[in-house]
Amino acid sequence: MNYPNQKRVETFSIEINGRSCRAISGETVVDVARREGIEIPTLCHDTRLEPAGACRVCLVEVEGQRRLQPGCAWKVYPDMKVTTESGRIEKHRTILYSMYMADHQLDESGLPVETGNGNQLRELCKTIDPLPLEPVNAPRAGRPDDVNPYIEFNPDLCILCARCTRYCDEVEAVNAITLSNRGGETTIATAGNRGLLDTTCELCGGCIATCPTGALIEKKAPENLVTLQTEVTRSTCNFCGVGCQLDLHTHNDRVVKITSPEPGETVNDGNLCVKGRFAYDFIHHEDRITTPLVRGTDGELHPASWEQALTAVANGLKSVKDKYGADSLGFISSSRCTGEENYLMQKLSRAVFGTNNVHQCAAT
Amino acid sequence: MTNSIDEIRDSELMFVIGSNTTEAHPIIAMEMKRARQRGAKLIVADPRKIWLAEMADLHLQLKPGTDVWLLSAMAHVIISEGLHDRDFIEANTEGFDAMAEKVAEYTPEKAEEITGVPAGDIRIAARLYATTKHAGIYYTLGITEHTHGTDNVYCLANLVLMTGHLGVRSAGMNPLRGQNNVQGANDAGATPIFYPGYQPVTDSKVREKFENAWGVGLSPDNGLNLNVMMKEMAAGKLKAVYVMGEDIVISEPNVTKVEVGLNQCEFVVCQEIFHNETTRFADVILPGACFAEKDGVFTNSDRRVQRVRKSVNPPGEAREDWKILCDVARSAGYPMPDYENAGEVFSEYASLTPKIAGISHQRLEENVSGLQWPCPDESHPGTPTLHVDGPMIGRAPFQVVDYRPSAELPDNEYPLVLSTGRTLYHYNSATQTRRDAGPVAKQRSNFIEMHRSDARKLDLKHGESVRVLSRRGEVEAEVWVSPRMRPGCIWMPMHFAESRANLLTNDAGDQVTGTGEYKVCAVRVEKLSNR
Repeated sequence: MNYPNQKRVETFSIEINGRSCRAISGETVVDVARREGIEIPTLCHDTRLEPAGACRVCLVEVEGQRRLQPGCAWKVYPDMKVTTESGRIEKHRTILYSMYMADHQLDESGLPVETGNGNQLRELCKTIDPLPLEPVNAPRAGRPDDVNPYIEFNPDLCILCARCTRYCDEVEAVNAITLSNRGGETTIATAGNRGLLDTTCELCGGCIATCPTGALIEKKAPENLVTLQTEVTRSTCNFCGVGCQLDLHTHNDRVVKITSPEPGETVNDGNLCVKGRFAYDFIHHEDRITTPLVRGTDGELHPASWEQALTAVANGLKSVKDKYGADSLGFISSSRCTGEENYLMQKLSRAVFGTNNVHQCAAT
Repeated sequence: MTNSIDEIRDSELMFVIGSNTTEAHPIIAMEMKRARQRGAKLIVADPRKIWLAEMADLHLQLKPGTDVWLLSAMAHVIISEGLHDRDFIEANTEGFDAMAEKVAEYTPEKAEEITGVPAGDIRIAARLYATTKHAGIYYTLGITEHTHGTDNVYCLANLVLMTGHLGVRSAGMNPLRGQNNVQGANDAGATPIFYPGYQPVTDSKVREKFENAWGVGLSPDNGLNLNVMMKEMAAGKLKAVYVMGEDIVISEPNVTKVEVGLNQCEFVVCQEIFHNETTRFADVILPGACFAEKDGVFTNSDRRVQRVRKSVNPPGEAREDWKILCDVARSAGYPMPDYENAGEVFSEYASLTPKIAGISHQRLEENVSGLQWPCPDESHPGTPTLHVDGPMIGRAPFQVVDYRPSAELPDNEYPLVLSTGRTLYHYNSATQTRRDAGPVAKQRSNFIEMHRSDARKLDLKHGESVRVLSRRGEVEAEVWVSPRMRPGCIWMPMHFAESRANLLTNDAGDQVTGTGEYKVCAVRVEKLSNR
């Protein structure tokens, strides 16, 4: 049987900007250039997706080719020669970025607007002196009536690179969103333009994460996220056992957004699910228990100081142990808590109270 | 997992059994989808036509609880057709002949009668699995949550060993852990028979090591597992419990009995972030911290130790749980060391645990993708794939397994089989996910999935309310008529406190592990009229 996953691998060298670079069969020009630290701009490129060559931002000169070619899709072959910076490429980028700007929401400074999820087009446009083109304002439809609580689409920031729809198809594989209509009316839509809750969408939010221009954003995030001073803390998701890495964005001692590290860095390869990305309201929920509680002689729970509560716990457990022996106690640890906490719980059970009756919640 | 999550994408074949991966482990499922799109074969064995079954080459829709028959019949085919790996068996295993003699009884034809899976499909699955090099088995609680859960796992291990799918990339035996730190909790010794790192409490040398480290004498007897603890509590023998971070009155099987036990307890401590069903029984509640509010490590399914970092403060008086546990120990008169931070706790734990001795918080700062144990010393890079040089200790034994039916089978009074589980949108007792708009918009309240032929018999329409009854209790839920189900079987999520699936489930436990039989119990469904 022939398995496409186990292809034979060949290495050879190619030349980029006159420099000899090691390349592996099956790689693209962008793959090799990135590894070598050579910058080629991209917008529609995502390492998790099949190359689309849609945005034309990564065009390079390939020796022997009459036209410029997309570096993200162009496969390497032995001894090929590539140029990534030239007058011709610079001219191409100026025209291309200017055309994108003519069909994009701009801010007072005339650049593509910044969003809470960044805008890579804005950064690219800073590198050129834009041509004076008439604004196009293509009539792309959004989904203003979509009541889903997490994902918002702003058609005025969309460059139709289709990263979101390809992600939905190739990675999450639910095909909830798609490119729809033709010409200037082309937009990102759902079947029948329904709200995402009425589609196969699983609310993973991968479309938001992959969007290069901030056309897709979190509805949950604060409106002023662009200007908000936030800190980012890398941590591990607290739901299932995959161990996805998260970046917790915090402001004023509150989590305001959760994102994944870049693809390729961690076990989740840039992906998150609906729970990991969005289900964080519980952290600051008003129902959180905020003070120790001790049951009084009236049978009700009453707020108590830590000292009172800790004494009550120690005395309660010790008196049962004295009366019935250590093995009349049971300690139920938690697979939701950290390794250190589980270590301490079994130490508490064994060393402090003298019983091996300790297990964790996932045991049954 | 013997292998790593990122190896899945390079698989040639994935055998997924008892795992609804797209819902329970969505990000691992993405790797499986990626492998599938690159041309890997996919075999799914599950009583339900789960999402992955739709994209599978072969869906073995077995009756719940008949896994031993299905897997032994696959072994039968592999051995009778000579597809087993004789060199690997010779070099690394023992007990092949006894096992081979046993599985000779499990013919695919007889298996078809018991499991409902066509004999031809069993043959195809066995041949594909045995003849593909990079073939991995992926399973989760659909395998283990049975009274014969350990037998199911033995059968899978037999398949892995007889085909030599061990120590090979994108192959192996891969239990997907259900919670963020199941692996880490077990590793850290939150188990009645092992100190940290699976060192037996009955081994006097090991015990001496821990007695010296902790400065006290320790009990030489195995403790009670959680399932037995719950039963002893109901029998009035376990008199006090300290419950940290679990809602046992939702999560344990046959919760009516658990409630009886909690009522009888003389003293109950809960360490929690929200009030839940269990805190109703508490004498003292200690307010803990959620993952965003503390430092430490979680260990994921592929044995990867990764950092949890504090990003915000706990609310009000609430404290980091590791600090609370130290304070409780000190209040009880034990001289718990003055750990400056969670990293120092980890250092003590690692110093007593050879498997993770080379891991420290400091090293985890430098390794952004974590470190996978075994990692015995500080220069060790961690171990992505286990058993590359054969079994770790001695020879791997084949197991002789006899099929035993599930503890409770359907009858005239309770004619349907109920399995329970998790959905994509909620998480276990759902104290976290039911406080977020998306999961609530997708799944507001409890439901059962039912095949249309069963729904027709009971004159039920999609969305109607029903009462589900077992010998242990009853709950109300909505009916979802679903093409995913087998006739005769229903499925219910475990997330809803006001309609607890575990009022119905059977607390009969696996003989070895005590794991409850959440996947098979007998129930009856009644229409709620005039509603």
